[in-house]
Amino acid sequence: MAERMRTVSGPAPPPGAGPTLEALLRRCVQCGLCLPVCATWLASGDETYSPRGRLLLTGQWLAEPEAALGDASWRDALDTCIGCRACSAVCPSGVPHELLEAAAGAARAGRAASGARWLVPLLERPAWLRALGVAAAAGRAAFTVALGRNWRARGERLPALRRLARLVGTVPRAPGSDQRLLRRLDGLAGGAATKPGPLPVVPGPREKLLWFRGCADEGLLPDSARRLRDLLAWAGADLDATAPTACCGALAEHGGCAGRAAGLRARNLAAWGDGSPAAAIVTAAAGCGVAIRDYGPALPAPQIDAIAWLARRARPPFGSVPLRVALHDPCHARHGQGLVAEPRDLLRAIPGLTLLEPDEADVCCGSGGLWSLAHPQLAAEAGRRKAAVLAGTGADLVVTANPGCLGQIADGLALRGGPAVIPLGDLLWYAAMRAPAAAAGRPPGPLAVPPACT
Amino acid sequence: MAERSDVSGAALVVRLRNLLGAGGLRTDRAAISVHARDASHLDWGCPLAVAMPATADEAANVVALCAAAGVAVVPRGAGTGLSGGAVPPDGAVVLVTSRLRELGQVDAACGAVAVGPGVLNAAVSRHAAPCALQFAPDPSSQAASTIGGNIAENAGGPHCLSVGVTSHHLRALAWCDADGRTWDTGPPVALSRGLDLRGLLCGSEGTLGLVTGAWLQLVPVPESVQTLLAGFPVLEAATAAVPRLLQAGLLPVAVEIIDQAMVATVEEAFGFGLPTDVQAVAIVELAGAATATATQATVAESVLRDAGAGSVRRAVDAAERASLWQCRKRAFGAVGRLSPNYVSMDVVVPLGELPGLVREIQHIRTSHGVRIATAFHAGDGNLHPAVHYDERRDGDPERAHTAADAIIRAALARRGSVTGEHGVGLEKLHVLPWQLDAVTASLMQGLKQAFDPRGTLNPGKALPGRAASGAMPQWAAPPPVPAAPVFAWDDLVVTAPVDVPLAELQEHALGRGLWIPLGMFGQGSGHGLGAGRTVGAAVDDPAAGPVAVARATARELLLEVWAETGDGRPFHAGAPVTKNVAGYDLPRLLCGAGGCLARLQAVTFPLRPAPPQAVLWRLCLPDGGRLPAGLAGALAAVAHPHGGAQIVAEAASGQAWLLAGAGGGDDPQPVASLAAGWGVEATLAWRGPFSAVTGILAEAGVPTWALASPDWTLRQPLPGTGTGGQVPALPRCVWNLPLPLVWAPGPLPVATGWHSEAVVNAGRPAPLPAPPPGVPVALLRRLKRLFDPGGTLGGPDWLFEAADG
Repeated sequence: MAERMRTVSGPAPPPGAGPTLEALLRRCVQCGLCLPVCATWLASGDETYSPRGRLLLTGQWLAEPEAALGDASWRDALDTCIGCRACSAVCPSGVPHELLEAAAGAARAGRAASGARWLVPLLERPAWLRALGVAAAAGRAAFTVALGRNWRARGERLPALRRLARLVGTVPRAPGSDQRLLRRLDGLAGGAATKPGPLPVVPGPREKLLWFRGCADEGLLPDSARRLRDLLAWAGADLDATAPTACCGALAEHGGCAGRAAGLRARNLAAWGDGSPAAAIVTAAAGCGVAIRDYGPALPAPQIDAIAWLARRARPPFGSVPLRVALHDPCHARHGQGLVAEPRDLLRAIPGLTLLEPDEADVCCGSGGLWSLAHPQLAAEAGRRKAAVLAGTGADLVVTANPGCLGQIADGLALRGGPAVIPLGDLLWYAAMRAPAAAAGRPPGPLAVPPACT
Repeated sequence: MAERSDVSGAALVVRLRNLLGAGGLRTDRAAISVHARDASHLDWGCPLAVAMPATADEAANVVALCAAAGVAVVPRGAGTGLSGGAVPPDGAVVLVTSRLRELGQVDAACGAVAVGPGVLNAAVSRHAAPCALQFAPDPSSQAASTIGGNIAENAGGPHCLSVGVTSHHLRALAWCDADGRTWDTGPPVALSRGLDLRGLLCGSEGTLGLVTGAWLQLVPVPESVQTLLAGFPVLEAATAAVPRLLQAGLLPVAVEIIDQAMVATVEEAFGFGLPTDVQAVAIVELAGAATATATQATVAESVLRDAGAGSVRRAVDAAERASLWQCRKRAFGAVGRLSPNYVSMDVVVPLGELPGLVREIQHIRTSHGVRIATAFHAGDGNLHPAVHYDERRDGDPERAHTAADAIIRAALARRGSVTGEHGVGLEKLHVLPWQLDAVTASLMQGLKQAFDPRGTLNPGKALPGRAASGAMPQWAAPPPVPAAPVFAWDDLVVTAPVDVPLAELQEHALGRGLWIPLGMFGQGSGHGLGAGRTVGAAVDDPAAGPVAVARATARELLLEVWAETGDGRPFHAGAPVTKNVAGYDLPRLLCGAGGCLARLQAVTFPLRPAPPQAVLWRLCLPDGGRLPAGLAGALAAVAHPHGGAQIVAEAASGQAWLLAGAGGGDDPQPVASLAAGWGVEATLAWRGPFSAVTGILAEAGVPTWALASPDWTLRQPLPGTGTGGQVPALPRCVWNLPLPLVWAPGPLPVATGWHSEAVVNAGRPAPLPAPPPGVPVALLRRLKRLFDPGGTLGGPDWLFEAADG
């Protein structure tokens, strides 16, 4: 094979950080226990796309950065890392995800034409995303063809656009408006139709929170984002959504645009100011949550995921939802924020609901933000796999808490014919709507869970 | 057969790419360097290409193309092997099986499933869970390791004590030879005679053939599991407790020990809450019916306390048990937190030698100045000492490897083996000659030559070749042939010359509550495993007749043989241990060979607790006297874990009999309720001492087999005999549980998928049956010539026909 070799100027390992990364790498005992949780290895069966393989290649980068970065196969192997962190979560010898992320970052920065990096500015703007979604919903095929015609000259970008068109066409339609969602879930759950209307405001202790506007949430799932805010308010949150924040920077970081990510971070920190008097910054999309958590000590208030906040919060009881529900954990919730018990506790608190645990629950669905656009083939295979295990549970409904995962899974399930997928927050909102007190517009009875939130 | 031609590496790559497409073949630097290593930390060569076939046919074609080019093929699953079996030499093609992930539908009635070699071990049990079945071998790498890799290494794991290692759970294999021709190993003949290629391929580290599919035997998920966690102030005392558990009549599914250094590592990594102030933690797991495990756990607890355990507690629930095993299985990975490098060892010794070896290891640790942390599959006598070192420190690696070699010598001095489950690979080539004698080694090299004349299948692994100087290694002297039976009660094995009657050994063992779980037999004249049948006959010919309440067959149980080749060269193969993957599995090949390959001199079998009692249930069959499909398999799950069970079904009478080993006391087996679920009424007809079931009898002149006790006799005319070869209209069947066997004179009355085989009167040995199509007869003939060059041992005609290329 005539290997494509290009000379690319890319960053060497950060000065001073070399020995530390090497020490971290020495922890790897090459046992391979990371393989079966890696979505790219499962999708490809190719160890070049496995965490252990990438760590070996990271060693080459640390030893000879120029040679590694100059090798297309090296860059490809690292660039295909989704960054889902599943490998570090199971690693017995404690190799941290930062190691692979450093190498993957170098690979992306050194790539002359990253598969989807050029899409970052587009995806960081909710309004543009929304327009894309509307266009896609209007006619997915026509939209794709149109995009394809316009971009035919730039062949490398076409698969990414095609995939984007599929996703933005799928995501908004998954939950839809309040009425559409109620109609669909009532149809699944049976029984009396749930009356539309606002969730009641429940007397009790309130907590001030800063609401972070996620681009994909606001752009593609505006109704779901609003329902989640209503649900938080129902559980006692006073949300402040006025801070003029921008994208969290996760997409830029993922696309190898470190400078752009830093700029967004600074802008958001400035928008929040000192954050007072909010107790926490609450995020909806798991990816945003991790990106903001990674801002570190500069954050004016601790970041908390909306689901985690709800799970730890005393709240009125849910109404009955007699459905078999399979939960998909977004990697940035499960591995990035350690949220495993929280969504399960919430779902188990819904009377009548049967929670199903799919196989490979710790494996990424292959969305990975920008990743699925840059690697459409691997992403499609990973999505097909995930859809198969989710459908295999025999669930009536699949829920997840990240717009990227939602699109990826909905796409995979649509292809094979499977249950509907909606945001986890929407199902909780529906369960809250089904509470007898909510339907009657009366204040609910005693709190269901003892106060535990700080 | 592919023609050899001079094809350059580049031309081979072109051919492989044409076969596999661009996505199925990689030659780039990243893929090459990733596939040059596995979990063994060994460095060898730089492969030419990485082939990732998507179908079994493609895989066989890759092997064929490489054979034509004379290029080495190195099979690779997930690269989790610890002995370097998947590390390629320069210029080899790495054949990755991880895309061969076909997972067939579970056949619940016969407890089997067909899988591709790339299926992950853990995925098989997940797949079978809805049928309440599981795949028993569970190496610590099971989350990642593939079935193909498990077969290549004959993988074990903690849960092999009561049910055996990978080779015991293979019903059949599909495989391709060194030229890429595809074969199978024939039907899943567990008891039948014949040359067992399954046993040879399993554990051959991909040096004899490439496994392209496997039909796995599953075992029932136990109704209940009890896990005990014992803290021992003294490590030696913990190891000494192991044989005492079995001698007390317990057969745990797992007995693990973790020494203090390993506990500290695990606690640092996972914080499970194991006691760190004791020298050893023992994990004892018992499985079976809920009532039985509760009683057994109480017995185990008192045995552990008597043996010196300071504390014993039971795992609270399934979640705690799962978390405990997860910690145990990730223990070795956790060593990476404390030590940049370590030698991962895999020695085995007979159970009674564990305390002595532990003392020796402590001595080696001090004298060599190394840090050693050890995890034991103690019930199998299998130790995994991890000798820590730092490759950046001068002298450290050498010191660690010298200490590791000293531990291996110590294990061999105690009649052990250099490897129980990791394989020889590249890592243990230098120590294998310390274990094997020269004749055994030459037979193994002959096997390699017979299977792979050009040496392209995973070359340089599993068996040492000539040194660079051209000198052959110095092989060990074989242990002397035992002249009389030797019962090693602490090792839980018995060694006996082949002319000793099996019944004599069983009687002696039953005096201590132990037996060789091969089946019961009486003292009358007769056939099968009946009286007068010698140990050697049981090994040569395990297919003699229905075996009453056997747990396993001689193929699964035979640990060690002393024998002589046809031309009179004495050799010794195997070891008195239940896990041993040093070299090819010669005992398994000789078992069932009908004496065609070698003259057996002596053998070693394991001793296991005998069921204290036997029970006889009468089953009233609905639907015209047919045994419902699946009921036989379901009853296997409730049979006493030590004893197995047998169902005798006679369609004409509308009834069947279930004879099973049973625990002491009341031990209410859920037979009646289980049978009721299948619409069968079961009533307890008899309960008595296990040793009273005198097993298979034959009546003078009438080809009949029978089971008998002082109180009753069950008789059944031997099908196909005495009636002029006519098959009765309504078949009578004998199910041997949990062996995957049904003895029937013709087609089975129910579509169980179980293998059926006509019972033959084995009053005198019948010739070896010709192998079915799909098995390479020419290869079997080469094996015959290897072991018996002059043909002096005889055999059927088909084994002698000359023209086989």
